[in-house]
Amino acid sequence: MVSQLLLAAVVGIGLGVFLQKGRFCFVHAFRDLFAFKDSRVTKGVLAATTLTMLFWSIAYELGYYQGFWTPGWGLTGLVGGFVFGIGMTYAGGCASGTLYRAGQGYLHFWLTLAAMGVGYAVFTVLFPTLKAVYFEPLTFGEGLSLFTVSPVPAPVLALLVTVGVVFVYATVVGRERRRAEEGDADRAVAADGGRPSPAPVAGFRSLVGGTRRYLAGFREIDDWVAASKRPWNPITAALGITAIAVVWFTQVSIVGITGPEARWTGYLLQQVGVDSGSFAYWGSVLFKGNGVRLTVDMVMIVAVIFGAFLAAYWSGDFSIRVPKRRRLPNAIGGGFLMGAGSRLAPGCNIGNIYSGLAELSVHSFVATVGIVAGVYVMTHWIYRDVGCAV
Amino acid sequence: MSGPSLDDVTDTPDELDDETAGKLVEEAEEVQDMTGEVCPYPQVEAKKAVQRLDTGELLVQETDHVPSTENVPRAVGDDADAKVWRSGDGLYRIYLEKR
Repeated sequence: MVSQLLLAAVVGIGLGVFLQKGRFCFVHAFRDLFAFKDSRVTKGVLAATTLTMLFWSIAYELGYYQGFWTPGWGLTGLVGGFVFGIGMTYAGGCASGTLYRAGQGYLHFWLTLAAMGVGYAVFTVLFPTLKAVYFEPLTFGEGLSLFTVSPVPAPVLALLVTVGVVFVYATVVGRERRRAEEGDADRAVAADGGRPSPAPVAGFRSLVGGTRRYLAGFREIDDWVAASKRPWNPITAALGITAIAVVWFTQVSIVGITGPEARWTGYLLQQVGVDSGSFAYWGSVLFKGNGVRLTVDMVMIVAVIFGAFLAAYWSGDFSIRVPKRRRLPNAIGGGFLMGAGSRLAPGCNIGNIYSGLAELSVHSFVATVGIVAGVYVMTHWIYRDVGCAV
Repeated sequence: MSGPSLDDVTDTPDELDDETAGKLVEEAEEVQDMTGEVCPYPQVEAKKAVQRLDTGELLVQETDHVPSTENVPRAVGDDADAKVWRSGDGLYRIYLEKR
C-alpha cells in the first residue's frame, strides 16, 4: 500500500509538471484549431495518444498491465461527450487543464472543480432514473478494446494504426503546405524540381524536418535551469506524459481524472455525514461495493495539482488569480456541465481522447467525436463576433 | 509568416525590457484589463479591439493567464505585431501594434 501511494504521488506530480509546463490543454488543442488553425497543442495530443497506444499495446501483449477501462458503447458517449465538450470550452479548461491550473493559483478553476463536484452529485442522485431512461436505451453493445479482439497481436495493430495516423497527418500537412505555396508558385516549382510531390510525401518530409528541428532545439540549450523555467514544447510534455502513463498502466490502471474526482465527491460528502455508499452510483459503480474510502487514483489526481504548483512556482508563473465577476458563470456553468457530461459519457478528455483512444476502446471513439463536436459548437458561439477559421 | 501553419513550433514572443514596457502603456490607444480572464476571452477581445485600431496604433492587454501570452499574438495573426512583457510573478502585458 505504501509503495502504491508513493507511486501515485510520483505519477501525479510528474503529470502535473508536464501538463503545466507544456500548457497541455485539450480545449486549446481543438478550440484554437477551429478558431485560428493553431495546431501546436493538437500535435502534442496526437503524439501523446499515438505513442501511449504503441507502448500500452506492447505492455498488454507481454501481460504487464492492470486492465482496460471499456464502458459499454453507444450514443451515451456521443451525448455525454457533447455536453462535456460544451462545458469544457465554456469553462476554459478541460478536466486535466482544470487540475493543473488549480495548482497554478487560478481561483476560477477551483470554482470549476467545485461545480464539477455538484455535477457528479446531481448525476449520482439521478442515476437510478438515468439508468432506465438513458443508459439502457442508448447503450448498444458491450464495451471492448480492439486489442482484445484483434486477430493480429496488439503491437502489430498499434503499429498499423500509427502508420495510418502518420499517413493522414502527412497528407493534411502536405495539403496545407501546398495551399500556402499556391501564391508563390515559382518557389514551389524550384523546390520540387519542377514537379510538386504528392501531399503525403511533402507532409512526411515536413514531419521528419520538424522532428529534426525539435531535437536540434535541445542542443542549443546552454542554460538548462533557465530553459526549464520557460514554457516547454507541447511535444516534450507529450513524451513525458507517455512515459508516466506507461508506468501507471503497468502498475495501476489507465489514466483517468473525472472518475477519481467523482469518487472524491462521494468521499468528501461521506466525511460531512452523507451516507454516500447508499447511493447506487457511488456504492456499487464507483467504489464497486468495497466501501467509500480513499483509493490510489484519488491520491494521484491530488498529486497532479501539487505537481502543477511546483512547476508553476519554479517558473515564476504561480500567483493567486482572482476571476472577474463576469466569468463566474463560465467557471460554475462550465464546471457543472463537465461534471455531469463526464458521467453521462462516461469519461472526460483524458479518459476518452487520451487513454480511451490509446487502448482502442470502441466507446472512446464515439465519446471523442461527441467531445470534439461540443468544442466545435461552443467555439463558434464564443467567437461569434470575430469568426472562426474552421 | 503567412498565418500559423501546421509546421509551426512553439514561438516565445519577443520580450521587452521593463522600462520600455512601462512607457509604452502611456502611449497605448487602448488598454484592456484581462486579469482574471481565461481563454479564449482575451483572444476574442484582442481581435475585436485590433479591428477598431488604425495602422500603427497600440493595444495593450494586461493578463495573468500564461497561455494568453502565446495565444493572443497567434489569434491576431497578421493583423498586428506582438511583443510580450513578463513581470516574473505571474503578470504579463501583451503589446499589439496594428499593421
